[in-house]
Amino acid sequence: MRFLAAAGLVTILSGLGAYYATDELSLFSIANLVVGPLLLLIAGVIEARRFQGFTGALSRRVALRWGLISAAVLAVGLAATLVSRRWDATLDLTAERRYTLSDQSRVVCKQIGTNRSADRNGAPPQLLLLKDTLIAKEVRLLIKAYQRTCPELEVREIRTADAPPEAQAILDAVEVTVLACQGGRCEPAGFPSEENITNAVLRLSRRREIQIHFLVGHGEANFASQGKHGFAGLAGALREEGLHLEALVGPAMEEIPASASVLVIAGAERNLLPAELEALERYLERGGRLLALLEPGVSTNLEPLLGRWGFELPSGVMADRASSPLLEDPKPVSLLLRAYNPFHPVTRKLSNRTMLLLPSARPILPVRKPQAGDALEALVFSNRSAWLETDVVAALADRPITPDPEEQIGQELPLAAAGRYPRDDGEARIVIIGDRDFASNRLLPALYNRDLLLNAVLWLAADEEHISIRPKAWTPDQDPLTFQQTLAYFYFLAFALPEILLLLGIHAWYRQRGG
Amino acid sequence: MTRRLWALFRKELRTLFASPIAYIVLTAFVALTGVYFFQHLLTYNRLLFVFQSEAIGAGGFDAGTVPLQVNSLNELFIPASNDFSLFLLAVLPLVTMRVFAEERAHGTDELLLTTSIRPWEVALAKHLSTYVFVFLMLAVSAIYPAAVVAKSRLGMEHLLALYMGQLGYGVAVAAIGLACSSLTQSQIVAAVLAYAIPFMILDFTWLHPVLSEGIAELLNELALQSHFDSFARGVIELRRGIYFGGIVALGFTISVGSMEFTRAR
Repeated sequence: MRFLAAAGLVTILSGLGAYYATDELSLFSIANLVVGPLLLLIAGVIEARRFQGFTGALSRRVALRWGLISAAVLAVGLAATLVSRRWDATLDLTAERRYTLSDQSRVVCKQIGTNRSADRNGAPPQLLLLKDTLIAKEVRLLIKAYQRTCPELEVREIRTADAPPEAQAILDAVEVTVLACQGGRCEPAGFPSEENITNAVLRLSRRREIQIHFLVGHGEANFASQGKHGFAGLAGALREEGLHLEALVGPAMEEIPASASVLVIAGAERNLLPAELEALERYLERGGRLLALLEPGVSTNLEPLLGRWGFELPSGVMADRASSPLLEDPKPVSLLLRAYNPFHPVTRKLSNRTMLLLPSARPILPVRKPQAGDALEALVFSNRSAWLETDVVAALADRPITPDPEEQIGQELPLAAAGRYPRDDGEARIVIIGDRDFASNRLLPALYNRDLLLNAVLWLAADEEHISIRPKAWTPDQDPLTFQQTLAYFYFLAFALPEILLLLGIHAWYRQRGG
Repeated sequence: MTRRLWALFRKELRTLFASPIAYIVLTAFVALTGVYFFQHLLTYNRLLFVFQSEAIGAGGFDAGTVPLQVNSLNELFIPASNDFSLFLLAVLPLVTMRVFAEERAHGTDELLLTTSIRPWEVALAKHLSTYVFVFLMLAVSAIYPAAVVAKSRLGMEHLLALYMGQLGYGVAVAAIGLACSSLTQSQIVAAVLAYAIPFMILDFTWLHPVLSEGIAELLNELALQSHFDSFARGVIELRRGIYFGGIVALGFTISVGSMEFTRAR
């Protein structure tokens, strides 16, 4: 009997071993996995026949009772395990809380819920995880977080072959792990990070087309440049959120198109033509929306126009004794900012824990309402240790600067401001930020720069419901240990520690023998 | 009762550490985990070097760019965690095999059961002392990973989650081993069973080709292997705890039942 049982176990283990080793259910594995349990069964039957363990009614009762209790525990354990698949209590202990959805994802989910309430017949958006892809296993926890946090979203795991027909073109073109689909349209999530997945859902669920026009022709930021001083990152971030981008060549335009939801002037370095200024004035008068990024030390004829809309733009650059240690070349003009207007939609979600990093900035003062009913507000303020340095050339050239007696410290001057101007033809809106380079490829992902900029664009485009704090881009841990460090640990753990344990074991053995 | 239980627990721990087998198992586990972690660390460092190398960049890769998938979690901690779980499977039966079977073979269990001590107290003390040993094994083996985490951005909390998974898995494997040991007086039979049962429920993917997708998914929920991946990724899920807790409860019940049966005979 014992031989049969042992043979049964060995046969089963051989079958499983062959399967794990080859990752294939071969004939050998199948034969072993059929014969093994049979042998065990025969051994069990023989043992049951021979069994004479019950020495009386009591032992029979005890065996029966504990057999039943064990079976009940097994049944309860199985049921609890299976039922708990629906329970979702989790504790995310990752350093970056990768599996806890950000404010943006929650905002997008809420918006989907609102859209669905308004349109009850519409199919819900779906999040599809292609479970036979290479990194599906890695993404599953994130997908579960969506399932948990976003009941408005229908989350499914499917095989690539079962993907909806509308996804086929995407699957043929790119490698995808997660897709967002709705109403016959699908959006790929690229590398399946929370940022990309949420943006795919956002692109799909956005109900209104928002056109962002960039003025070019006066030395503005280059939205095609991938270099660290380029602005392709900003263009990409706007597109990722489902906004449409178009360049507007200033000197060639007669009128700013009515389709322009927002006009962006990102650091013009030269004057605009009078006709351009007039077109801009007309655009704003008929309820246009303008985002202007102004560089310190650069003066153009845009400033008088902005002055007519209530902003004062003192020349100078903000300097701060506590210059940013995060920059490669820290300068007194580099600013870490964390004082915001807590009531304005653009900055409402920012707090003193969500800082901005501006390499250099000039003050933007909202001083005068052009008309009664207009509203001008400061958005971001300089720190108490900052002052307005009037020697811009010296400050930007990184020459030593100190506050002069007339340059007061601690004024907490606004560095970004916004205005609303209700007019007969619509409500004009303007946001001015006293820096351009904080949105460059190098600095856009830094701290919360991207959130300030994208939220400003969304507010201008009257898409306030999507204003949010976005998930921070996941930075994987890719720092190697030095070979010396690796080796030091290795000697300690693979040799020294086992050696100590073994010596203790020998000591225990001798003591036992002596006893 | 608590005092009695405490005394039994201390006695079990003393017995465990009086025998050289505990030290041999500890040594083997620490040495194996150390060597394998070192190997993974070396491979990971080489991989980073290949991707970060400017010379390779000129030959085709983007210079200095390491793909997102190549990171310490995917290349080091998750493979090491999988290895550690197999080592636990390999060494724990050596510890659990003697816990009940030895006393049964010597007949000392019957002596113990004629006193006022209840069988569940004896079983609980044996189970707890073995779980403490599992904890100790893992704690010692965590030194190397903790040293690496201290120099990386992974975070100690993440490592804690990973080891919580290992602990749950180790305790479950130990509970199976203890249940097997309580059913027999032969340490060899106890060890063979303690190897065979966890190995059989380790993974049911081999059954997938002959099962429908629903049943295969259901079986997957019962497989040991599928329950520590989320821990390694830094997430503690309640349902994983329920699974491991269920196995421990079953192992304990079988042990108590077996002792009650011995007393009734």
